[in-house]
Amino acid sequence: MGLLKDIKSDGYKKKALRIMVLFLISFFILDFFVGIVLKNGLEAYYGLNENVKIALVGHSHLMLGIDKVQMEQDLGYKVAKYTSEGVNVANRKLMIEHLLSKNNKIETIIYGVDAWMFSGEGLSENSHALFYPFLSDASINRFVKKAGSESEYWTRKLIKSTRYSEGLISSSLRGYFKKWDNLKFGTVDIERLKKSIALGEYREINNNKENIDTLIESIELLKKKGINIILLYVPTIDIVNQVESEKCEETLQIFRNLENEYTNVEFVNFLEPFSHQHDLFFDPIHLNPKGQNKVTEKLISHLKNTGNE
Amino acid sequence: MLFNSWEFILFFCIVFAIYFSIAFRFRPFLLLVASYLFYMFWKWEFAVIMLAVTAVNYYTGLKIARSTSEKQQKTYLGISVLASLLPLVYFKYANFFIDNFAVMLQELGFKANFATLAVILPVGISFFTFQAMSYSFDVYNKKTPVETNFINFAVFVAFFPQLVAGPIERSSHLLAQFREKHHFKFKLLIEGSKLFIWGLFKKVVIADRLSIYVDRIYENPELYSSATLTVATLFFAVQIYCDFSGYSDMAIGVARMLGFRLMQNFNLPYLANSIADFWKRWHISLSSWFGDYLYIPLGGNRVPYIRWIINIFVVFLVSGFWHGANWTFIVWGGLHALYYLFENWGDKLLNVVKIIHIKKSSIYQTLKIVTIFVLVCFAWIFFRANSIHDAFYIAQEIIFFKTDPLYLGASSVTFILSVLLIILLFAVQILQYFKVASLYFSVSKMPTVIEFSWYVLLLLGIALLGMSSNAFIYFQF
Repeated sequence: MGLLKDIKSDGYKKKALRIMVLFLISFFILDFFVGIVLKNGLEAYYGLNENVKIALVGHSHLMLGIDKVQMEQDLGYKVAKYTSEGVNVANRKLMIEHLLSKNNKIETIIYGVDAWMFSGEGLSENSHALFYPFLSDASINRFVKKAGSESEYWTRKLIKSTRYSEGLISSSLRGYFKKWDNLKFGTVDIERLKKSIALGEYREINNNKENIDTLIESIELLKKKGINIILLYVPTIDIVNQVESEKCEETLQIFRNLENEYTNVEFVNFLEPFSHQHDLFFDPIHLNPKGQNKVTEKLISHLKNTGNE
Repeated sequence: MLFNSWEFILFFCIVFAIYFSIAFRFRPFLLLVASYLFYMFWKWEFAVIMLAVTAVNYYTGLKIARSTSEKQQKTYLGISVLASLLPLVYFKYANFFIDNFAVMLQELGFKANFATLAVILPVGISFFTFQAMSYSFDVYNKKTPVETNFINFAVFVAFFPQLVAGPIERSSHLLAQFREKHHFKFKLLIEGSKLFIWGLFKKVVIADRLSIYVDRIYENPELYSSATLTVATLFFAVQIYCDFSGYSDMAIGVARMLGFRLMQNFNLPYLANSIADFWKRWHISLSSWFGDYLYIPLGGNRVPYIRWIINIFVVFLVSGFWHGANWTFIVWGGLHALYYLFENWGDKLLNVVKIIHIKKSSIYQTLKIVTIFVLVCFAWIFFRANSIHDAFYIAQEIIFFKTDPLYLGASSVTFILSVLLIILLFAVQILQYFKVASLYFSVSKMPTVIEFSWYVLLLLGIALLGMSSNAFIYFQF
């Protein structure tokens, strides 16, 4: 074989091989440490590294809706905020399982709900990428392997630093700096919103049975562990709620039924009195800092009234 | 198949192992098969066009070499040029001509509404067409011997490392290398890998990150402030450089591992101290192509002054048009022609005034570098804008600057990271300019440990911050 002959006769062989092996070793050692450092920061950011009594689980709607720091100050105990942009119902079930595998002191999960949560469409299509950093967790590993391509999976499995996006790196750094504020400044442009809706630019409500069943599975899992679940409806603006008001009501009824059916479920609906107060919204579904403050206060007071002090 | 994909890594490892394992005489054939496979990953039909362009130039090359009369040689050269340009014109420019012809007729008061052609531009068509044509020109000008082996010639046109985005090689430089007996060498493997890693970093970490911001702003420029448009234009300048030079670096690196020497395509263009200098540093293989096969045949600068000015305009306008069938590219080329002429007149004026001591000062030189960079960035507005209207709007907003707030994009973290990466890029370029860091295969003055760590960190940077994009900007040309 010409190649083997060339390799044998290359005078630079020994040095080159040494350089290449050292290069790969250095890379993987560095990669290993970067992976550990980023993962620790991320766990701190999501509250996965400590025993907490209450954990918030949801997507950006809940992320911008509730101030974890304010909750901790007023309630006097630690709260985990495991929220990420674009996570769907299946992702949230995985997040609950992940939380439970890390923490055995959780008493209540506050689960962000909204009228569109069973629709699926409109959320991040590659939301499984948010779980790459936790591939060492068996259930997450299974989920990611199923959700992505083989090459995508094995790249992440082999090289730890490929598991992080800018958003995850940022969250990890925030974990180290203990920065949990999620704020979007500004107020929703009502006229523009109305125009968009008139043009048919709105997200439809479709109550997909598979998604409803996934939520039920999450509830049953928590019931088995003796953990309560609060289905929290952080307000969305009345203008979008009214676009498909019947369907919206239908979804709310699902939450009420679940509350009636399961003893560990409580449905807390904050649509009123907030959904008409347009100055509280950054956009149709996300609250601005003023809205976040008001809704967090209301949640704290609700928790105090229901004995979650 | 993109360089920044696992498919390519696997493909290359297989080709590499077979290439160095088989007998020398079979290697061009292997490279030919590999190159066509590589190309057919986009769309197999495109390979037919490439094969046709190859056959035409191979045949006319033979005919030119065997013809005894000048007239016959010219005829075959003409056939070669026309037949090579035909697919390019059809796929790339037909709709542009149809649209503009319709507009012209409408302006003249006729009712004209022509249907445009539903064609997809074959990837890299401008590159392989120009490379194949350069061979016919070189045979005609007796700069290269005629290639009688079809396999060698076909692999010269289709050589996969530089097939879809250059560098546009010359037959005198590359063709002979297919006859060389390349041996596997660790030194070449390491040199090629280093360049590949740097190119990949520029592409997936810098260019693809900047493109998110640039695309968003240039899609709806009227929604953004002057500051935002300025930043987006600066970002685009870096994006296009990192995208294209990144591809060239990877192409040169891949070829190097196989034992081939491709020409350098970029030489720190944003550190150029004149427009003429910029064009000696930016897309060198294309600018030298236009120099050799268009500017010189037009008479170069050995013609009356007015004719020379026309020559300059022709070369830059054609260069603009080469990049795309849109008026934005033509204006971009025209702007560079104007820069070139103003610079020439400015130089003449300075020679009359005789301020040589000022010209040699470092402040003057730095000022020139900055000025050229600003002018080049300004021209990029036309290159990137979706339409002439958008381009003029952006240019106007930047010139008559209004102090509205700067939009940082969807993520301020991404914005800050982008700025830091640009600073890193320029820091590296300055080190390369002063020959401290290695540029292409030049010897680095950096201590081995630092150089070693640098490449480890680059690879880590790719893993951590790399973004996946589906294409390189220059593929569309």
